[in-house]
Amino acid sequence: MNNNIKETIESKHKEIEPLFHKGGKFEKFFPLFEAQDTFALTPPDVTKGSTHVRDAVDLKRVMFTVVVALIPCLLWGIFNAGYNYYHYSGMEANPLMILFRGTLIVMPIVMTSYIVGGIWEVTFAIVRKHEINEGFLVTGLLFPLTLPPTIALWQVAVGITFGVVIGKEIFGGTGFNILNPALTARAYLFFAHAKDMTGDVWAKFRYFDPELGKYVDGKTGATPLGLGASYGGQGADVAERLSSDGFSLASIFGGLIPGSIAETAAIPILLGAAILIVSGVGSWKIMAGGVAGLLGTAILMNFLPSGVVGDVTLTTWTQVPFIYHLFMGSFLFGIVFMATDPVSAAQTDLGKWIYGALIGVVTVLVRVTNPGFPEGVMLAIIFMNVMAPIIDYYVVRGHIAKRNAYLRKFSYAKG
Amino acid sequence: MTADFKIKNGLDIPMEGAPGDFIRPVPLKGTVSVFPSEYKRVKFKLLVEEGDTVKQGGVLARRKDQEDFLLRSPVAGKILAIKLGDRRSLQEIVIEPGNTRERESFTKYTVDGLLKTSRAELLALLKDTGMMALIRQRPFNVIADASVTPKSIFVNGMNTAPFRPDAHVLCRGKSGELQAGLNALTRLTDGPVHLCLAAAKSVTPDVLTKASNVQVNYFDGPHPSGNTSTHIHYLDPVMPGDSVWTLRVSDVLRIGELLLNGAIPATQTLMIAGNGIDLEARGYVTVTTGMSLSSLFNGSLIEGETRIVRGDVLYGEKADLTGGVHFYDQGYVVLPEDRERHLLGWYAPTTEMYSAHKVVPSAWLKGKTFSFGTNTRGSKRALVLTGIYDKYVPLDIMVDPLSRACISKDTEDAIALGILETDPEDFALCTFVCPSKTDFGAIVAETLTLIQEEGF
Repeated sequence: MNNNIKETIESKHKEIEPLFHKGGKFEKFFPLFEAQDTFALTPPDVTKGSTHVRDAVDLKRVMFTVVVALIPCLLWGIFNAGYNYYHYSGMEANPLMILFRGTLIVMPIVMTSYIVGGIWEVTFAIVRKHEINEGFLVTGLLFPLTLPPTIALWQVAVGITFGVVIGKEIFGGTGFNILNPALTARAYLFFAHAKDMTGDVWAKFRYFDPELGKYVDGKTGATPLGLGASYGGQGADVAERLSSDGFSLASIFGGLIPGSIAETAAIPILLGAAILIVSGVGSWKIMAGGVAGLLGTAILMNFLPSGVVGDVTLTTWTQVPFIYHLFMGSFLFGIVFMATDPVSAAQTDLGKWIYGALIGVVTVLVRVTNPGFPEGVMLAIIFMNVMAPIIDYYVVRGHIAKRNAYLRKFSYAKG
Repeated sequence: MTADFKIKNGLDIPMEGAPGDFIRPVPLKGTVSVFPSEYKRVKFKLLVEEGDTVKQGGVLARRKDQEDFLLRSPVAGKILAIKLGDRRSLQEIVIEPGNTRERESFTKYTVDGLLKTSRAELLALLKDTGMMALIRQRPFNVIADASVTPKSIFVNGMNTAPFRPDAHVLCRGKSGELQAGLNALTRLTDGPVHLCLAAAKSVTPDVLTKASNVQVNYFDGPHPSGNTSTHIHYLDPVMPGDSVWTLRVSDVLRIGELLLNGAIPATQTLMIAGNGIDLEARGYVTVTTGMSLSSLFNGSLIEGETRIVRGDVLYGEKADLTGGVHFYDQGYVVLPEDRERHLLGWYAPTTEMYSAHKVVPSAWLKGKTFSFGTNTRGSKRALVLTGIYDKYVPLDIMVDPLSRACISKDTEDAIALGILETDPEDFALCTFVCPSKTDFGAIVAETLTLIQEEGF
């Protein structure tokens, strides 16, 4: 059976391939043909140059593994969106209805991101005459998962456009970008449409009220980070107040709460992290560095008072138990999926530790010292994306100094 | 044997097609060719014409830049054809072997006598016989410059790449040649001669492990623990301005043969391996230098398209059946030319195609050997993954920054990052494992050539 399908595809492709070659009718669309051709069948190319054999891995497999690692988060996001829809509209629902509703909410967002982003990706591939990069499969899914489920589809389209074009293509395409394109897209929406991206509108769905016979706006549901920032005051026991507002450590960990589509629950993210680490696709050094940096800084912060210290205003976040920082907001999602993007992260081994750790540090600092932004993960990662080349620069200089010391040892030995 | 150096970084590719350990003589058939084109970037002046007769060891050409560096014939016979390439560069001299046994004689030495022979006398002989070409020099891995005294000499007796000849097989019954060659090398440097061997548990003491007048070093670990760059890095690293000479054990044996017999060796022993050739043919053969490959491989290649690789599959050169046995050759690996396409192969959970990456199921199968063809197993993409290459290079080299320096032609940075310690073959494993199918060897080779031309 398989062989039949394979032969049919192979002969069909052979038949139409000349159309896409130089001088062919669809010469310009060769990248599209190449993408489809190598998706269906592995390329028939043989090695050139001095190394005659190759490993079975290729970039498609690597990238798709990230997509696979994101699937638990996507499924959770769907369930959580459906749950919050019913929860905040005060209606009863069984799990099937929740899943159905969640799918209706989340899938259009994901599809919009893939379709609009895909069009840009293909357009640039055709104009620049380069192959379509599989990295887009990741960007196109990462970005919608960082959005609140209430986001408007046109905002998704504008966001992914910004991310692909400004975040990636103007630098020369995949492999040349400085910032993570998915995060660039989110940052754009965050600053351009701030009121739709933050605060307590995240669980606001329009729903049909059968008693009134018309569509009404649902109640709003705040995120724990948004709430925490709003407490203000001195010496408040944040954990206790959060708990009285319905957010215990368990519910933050469990994730059946308002928030961006994939950020709320720890378990699916940890599952994704396990897939990335075991398959060797994501850097565990960045993840471990990030967690260490976050917890270390959060513990230090616990020793600080809240309120105004000197000329710095500290939010009540200084008082939140350090473990909350790990599971609240989008830190886990960010450090596992966003910070580990190999193109925009630090590239040296030591650099990865430093880069990860500083993301953790900056995240806590933004959360604690900046009352304007309840969440600091996105800003921390973007900031460290920019800093990554500098970290690498100093790591490489250190390596050269170590090398020279090793070489000198031999010339001294010779006398 | 206990290892003096344990190498951690690297990868042994579990590849099918290893050679057996028999040595079989192959009788000479057809014509014999000398290929001046195999001496990369060296220009020769032709000293014979078509129709001339030559003795075994008769002069064919000389280097344009060193008049006393000659190219001689491995057999006695008649010059049948002279083939020129672009810009009249000398490509191939075809000789029809004659029945005469006439040969050019050179000074004969004894194994012990060599220890008292002068450096100048040995170098003059090596250049005169063309055997100097077997001695290479780091940095740049070029033919050694006889006007420089190297700080040390390295002899490589390891075969970690798939596949290189086993020096222990080559040395069987050749203790005289080996020791003569090594003794001669000790005269060429003021420093030590290092003989580097694998620290395998099963190695029984033989002529190699008992070699005298040299420092024997044992290396343990995956490929490239057997690469000369690795040995030099741990024992006597190359710094800008240094010169280190390098040879393979097969080269030492041929130099030893020349010195003991006083004649140009007419034959060389080659390894034949790979799953592109019949099982019975995988082993070692003794052939006349310059014999045609078609008569060497006659009838033993598997059906279908095959590729003959001079050297090993990680770093070798594609050979043509119309070509012949080169002076530098020490083995061939034959692979099936694999153009087969696999349905959804990019994500199919393959256990048949080897991968070093845990993301492919085959990487989890320990102890299995895999068959390899020449397929790229994926398409070329931008370099995306970082930090995965360093664990395949045992030198103190950071592959990502070095390759970036090379791509941007920043030779100053490339030197600071240690490019002079390397040879392109040291990056072959990076090329092998790269998910973006980038050729790191080519990137480094280009920069090394650039540095060599510009000076540093």
